Amino acid sequence: MGKIVLSAILALSFSTSLSHAQSTWTGGDDLPTNPLACDGAAATAAAVPYDGGEPTDAPDRKGKTLTVVDVPKLVGIGYFNATSKGIAEAAAEMGTMNAKTDGPSRANIDDQITLIDNYITSGVDGILFAANDPVAISPVLKKALAAGINVVGYDANSQPDARQWFVNQAEFNGIAKSMIDAMAAEIGEDGAFAIVTSTFTTPNQARWIAEMEAYQSACYPNMKWLETVEAQEDNILSFNQANTLINKYGDEMKGILGMTSVATPAAADAVTQAGQCGNVAVVGLATPNAMKPYVASDCVKSVVLWNPVDLGYAAAYVLRAVADGTLQPGATSVEAGKLGELQVINGSEILLGAPFVFTKDNINDFDF
Amino acid sequence: MSMAVNLPPVRPQTDHKRPGLLRRIVAEYGQECVVLAAIMLLFVVVTLVNPRFVNANNLVTIFSGNAYIAVAAIGMAMVIMTGNIDVSVGALIGVLATVAGTLAVSGYPIWFALVAPIFVGMAVNTVIGVLVAYAKIPSIVVTLGALSILRGGLISVTGGTWISDLPPDFLIAQKRLLGLPVPFLFMIVLTIAAFLWMRYSAFGRSIYAIGGNPEAAVATGIPVERRLVSVFAIHGAFAGVAAILFATQLQVIQSTVPPNLELTIITATVIGGVSILGGSGTVIGSTLATILFATIGSALIFINVSAYWLRAVIGLLILATVLADMLRRHRRT
Repeated sequence: MGKIVLSAILALSFSTSLSHAQSTWTGGDDLPTNPLACDGAAATAAAVPYDGGEPTDAPDRKGKTLTVVDVPKLVGIGYFNATSKGIAEAAAEMGTMNAKTDGPSRANIDDQITLIDNYITSGVDGILFAANDPVAISPVLKKALAAGINVVGYDANSQPDARQWFVNQAEFNGIAKSMIDAMAAEIGEDGAFAIVTSTFTTPNQARWIAEMEAYQSACYPNMKWLETVEAQEDNILSFNQANTLINKYGDEMKGILGMTSVATPAAADAVTQAGQCGNVAVVGLATPNAMKPYVASDCVKSVVLWNPVDLGYAAAYVLRAVADGTLQPGATSVEAGKLGELQVINGSEILLGAPFVFTKDNINDFDF
Repeated sequence: MSMAVNLPPVRPQTDHKRPGLLRRIVAEYGQECVVLAAIMLLFVVVTLVNPRFVNANNLVTIFSGNAYIAVAAIGMAMVIMTGNIDVSVGALIGVLATVAGTLAVSGYPIWFALVAPIFVGMAVNTVIGVLVAYAKIPSIVVTLGALSILRGGLISVTGGTWISDLPPDFLIAQKRLLGLPVPFLFMIVLTIAAFLWMRYSAFGRSIYAIGGNPEAAVATGIPVERRLVSVFAIHGAFAGVAAILFATQLQVIQSTVPPNLELTIITATVIGGVSILGGSGTVIGSTLATILFATIGSALIFINVSAYWLRAVIGLLILATVLADMLRRHRRT
């Protein structure tokens, strides 16, 4: 009997998706979009009042040397090695910050909480963090604020009132603009392209696609959107789907947009193995390490993401500014060293800026 | 052994009337015929809508793209025929792909990197088989445990990083032999070999006997426990080959495996006509089913239908297949 139940469950797991069968075609969601200006002028977002927290009785730290601990999600991986490199660069540049990185050896929220708790006890001036869990990390960050410690997040947020500021690496409309701009530059402003995504209902991907559609129809009205196919987070399926698109459209399709770091390299491999490098452009979101072979072979020219070194660098400058009192609630921008003025968005977040496009010239500088 | 023994149902081929060859094939391989007919029907319909569907490149995508699933489904079919199941094979394939890739980039000879996953897969599944056969733990429990261990272990060991810079000679799934893609050749040769072995060898026949009627299998002198361990080990070897095809298709190896890979493999065997209750079915059916999946997936894109229908259609196919299997059994007894 157990086996019959098992097979019924098996069947159900597939057929429950029937209810989604009427999903939208393009793969975008139905939320309102906020496309950026075609020339890249800063978006005029509605002002949101400051919703971050405040440290209790913080001592005057203006100009003084700060002891800072950076607690990423985990240590020992390329991505967070890059953020901590950025923090170290900023600290060296300022000369008034002793920053060290100390994170859990695996992305575990309990380890991260224990670690932060220990640093509150031992006494630091500032904490930088990338949360493993936005809700679970909040109590210990509030404890740090209550102890008068300046708290700034980057990469992965906590609840807003559990930290002062959060450095946001990229907004949906920013990623959308970079993707479409890069595609237009490669296939022309009247080229046709298709998209390989994870699923139509994956929140981030659906949001990016909706923003891409809005931006493309405003800025490149003659580009042709062929179709969006799903490939789960499955590299071989992504490869097969990209191949099927190439087989279906032939010369008509000039480019493929990959929406995940699984789909983008797989699409690049499909184009490579089909001998279509140069005829079909691949632009996508992906980590540099996954894309190096395809960029090295000139099959892929643009990989869109953000620069984690800059992200760490900006976070360190934001922490310095908040300790100095130069970044106050209600501010609209903050000075971040070589990155210049960074914009305040969503009340208590600081936008890193336009996404970073990895190319043959710079991709080997990154290891994540 | 003094207990009463239920003899397995009499197979049609032992009938004295001997109906025509076609009738016998349909009677004995009903589900395989249904799947094959579905593939052919799809090809005709979609080609009428969009003739590019049958261009050479798309045929390669359809017949080669899911080959690693078909190879894994051969081993899975054997396990299910014995009346067991393995839900850990997806995670195992991920581990074995990482093993192969790590060896290849660490300077070991290519042949070693390509052969090692087969033996590692056999070793892992031998442990699973021993727990199932001798410790008498239900296979779903053992393999659920193995699933967590393998998946967790893979993430912990690799830290989620990907393997790139693979030597070109390692990427065998991208190569062609006699003009045909290597994954396709693996799929065809292994399917036919396994089919013949299971149909004509004593060992192969005993797989059906164990799943069809364990008491009778014991009574006829089949060493059920030992055979079970062997079947799991063979399944591990097929998982190793599947992992190699999976790992060598692209220039980078991810430390994650496709979500629900084990479900896809189990589904292929079930739709191919392997009874989820054990004792019947063929690996031809499971291979045809993976080709059917690839055909449906490609067809949906060619005729502009949302991919959600793929899962819906497959879900309905499973229900129909299991139902048909139950009805057949009901009629026989």
